Amino acid sequence: MLDFLFTGWGAFWMMLVMVVPFGLMFYYVIYRKSVVDSGPSPTPRSKLSRLEGYWLSAAFVIFVGVNLASLKFMPLIAAANASTSGEPLQEISLTATSWAYDISNRQIEAGKPVRFSGKALDTQHGFAVYHPDGRLLFTMLMMPGLTKSTTVIHTFKDPGTYKVRCLEYCGIAHHAMADELTVVKSN
Amino acid sequence: MSIASTIVQNTPIFGKMFSVDKSTGLEEINAWPALMIMASFVWLAVAGLLGLVMPATQLFALDTSWFYMTLTLHGAALSFPFGFQLMVGVGLHRSGGCVGKPVTGWLPALTFITMNLGAALLTVAVLMGLSVSAVVFYPLPLVGAKMGVWSMSSVVLGFTGIYLVLASMILAYPILVIKMMFFGKKREDLVLSERTLNDPGMLGMILASLTLLIAGAPLVVVGTIVMGVLYGIVPASMVAWALEPVVFQYAFYIFAHNMMEAMALMITSAMYATLPLYLADGTRKLFSDKLANLALWVLLLTSITSFLHHFITMYPSQPAMLSYWGNIMSWGTGIGAAITIFSVFATIWQHGLRAEPGIIAVLMGWTLYILDGASAIITSNVAWAYVLHGTMWQSGHFMTVIFSMSLMWMGVFYHHYPVMTGRKLDPVLGAWFVRLASIGGIGAALVMLAGGSAGMPRRYAAWNQEGWMLYGNLLVIFGLIIAASFIVYAYSLMKSRDISSPVGRQVAAA
Ligand SMILES: [Cu+2]
Repeated sequence: MLDFLFTGWGAFWMMLVMVVPFGLMFYYVIYRKSVVDSGPSPTPRSKLSRLEGYWLSAAFVIFVGVNLASLKFMPLIAAANASTSGEPLQEISLTATSWAYDISNRQIEAGKPVRFSGKALDTQHGFAVYHPDGRLLFTMLMMPGLTKSTTVIHTFKDPGTYKVRCLEYCGIAHHAMADELTVVKSN
Repeated sequence: MSIASTIVQNTPIFGKMFSVDKSTGLEEINAWPALMIMASFVWLAVAGLLGLVMPATQLFALDTSWFYMTLTLHGAALSFPFGFQLMVGVGLHRSGGCVGKPVTGWLPALTFITMNLGAALLTVAVLMGLSVSAVVFYPLPLVGAKMGVWSMSSVVLGFTGIYLVLASMILAYPILVIKMMFFGKKREDLVLSERTLNDPGMLGMILASLTLLIAGAPLVVVGTIVMGVLYGIVPASMVAWALEPVVFQYAFYIFAHNMMEAMALMITSAMYATLPLYLADGTRKLFSDKLANLALWVLLLTSITSFLHHFITMYPSQPAMLSYWGNIMSWGTGIGAAITIFSVFATIWQHGLRAEPGIIAVLMGWTLYILDGASAIITSNVAWAYVLHGTMWQSGHFMTVIFSMSLMWMGVFYHHYPVMTGRKLDPVLGAWFVRLASIGGIGAALVMLAGGSAGMPRRYAAWNQEGWMLYGNLLVIFGLIIAASFIVYAYSLMKSRDISSPVGRQVAAA
């Protein structure tokens, strides 16, 4: 379930989890207190204060819970996990210039972690890898003039053709800045 | 008569909607605000249309350069000369009436001129080909010129425009607000509804102005150096450090992020001021002033450093530690929002609400703002940033934050309209405006967030792949509904009628 939560559509569901209760409260409080009966409510202040405590605690728990759950998906942790897995890293270095990529290797073995290291040579560019089913797996932001390469470590599960797109606006042919990676079965 | 009211009066079509009431002796707090609000709606009329042109260029497969041109104009015009200027106009009128100080002299004039002249110069530059989007993407302007995509003169013109707009937002306006709050003598004849700085309805104004001034300072330094180089006053070799993309980007986002947060502080404060006036039992008090102030302070303190979430996917050039910090601080703003949510609901629960279009527009805008806040903190989480950064999710967030705050300001303006103009608005048209704006705004937000979830890139002139055009089509529909809501709003301003009963201060107190 966590694997789904930290995907694009998982984010959409999380947004709904936060917004739908708000919407219901909004409808309940504002509709009731303006259309149905706008008279003052006799609810004692102490009860409201208690409710305030519950509400803020719930918000706090959700916020802490979600951010703790996401730790495993954070790049630093992912990198640490990959380096302790014993599998050798497949290294791919790339440079981005308006409007094309220079990629050291476009053939990848499934199941083995890959480290992408990228640099932008003229202006800012992105390097986003899409699963053959259209899902965005990850994106990288590369800024010119930096000494360190931007890196992401990713392990591909499924063989197939993966689209690469630039997701950082880089001028009038930005949408044409694309490439492909091929993931093959591990031998 | 103020030069500002003369300009408003002589402007065709728009002048009629915003001309101020001169019989009340309040022209000194009404004239410049009315001119700014009018100008903001002129920008809205143009830039709103461009928003519909964007998906149209894709549906009809027009030249992609049209898409990037309208993208740049639409985003820049709605963020600065519309959204920001609307806030400045309504906010200055409010401040004047709360502390009894006139909005006159050279500072309001400077705020107005730098904003609109700057935005106009940028518009010309974009029409000359400079398509760099609303966030500039430095060094893209220079790279594009080098590649011959646009001319160096369009870069110089565009930067000059941006520089003037920034001068308005970072210097002229905040200094004007601080001057009004802390200096000069209070004039009893200008006081409409007195507020101290401890009042949640005023605290946000001052916190926001200080935020703009402080968070904008690095960008003023870097921007001034870039201008100096562009105009050949400073040799580039002497200031190489300031021309580094990473320096410009960080200076830009410390400001740009906090500008949005400052706008949030202002509008939250304006909501805290307006809501009590519409309580059904006439209490005129929030559930708790302390809680409301706490929300503003939490928002201020957490927001300052949360801009680091813009660079999460640049790991390890932005160290993981800083990204996590930006992550946690962004979620901290959510705690501020949770406090605000409780304050508002508890206040209405206790005292009931008189549902008039102005306050309902504020509350619906606030609902959108909460929806937007949820989308914002999600994409600020380090794990989610890797699958959402650079997608339509973030366009959805950017559009919704501007739209929600503008809707709230339009609601607040609805409340102040009779005092400023001596005319009243038709509540039926007002209700239709709120309905259409809510449906259009929520619909457009959800469509763009869904597009982002599906991996649809933002600022991208090729929607016709992977099934993304579906989101484009839905955007046109909700965009048309938003356009209809603005037309209804403008029509209601056109059709405003004179207040027959005594005007001015009695109305303000009503
Ligand atoms: Cu690119």
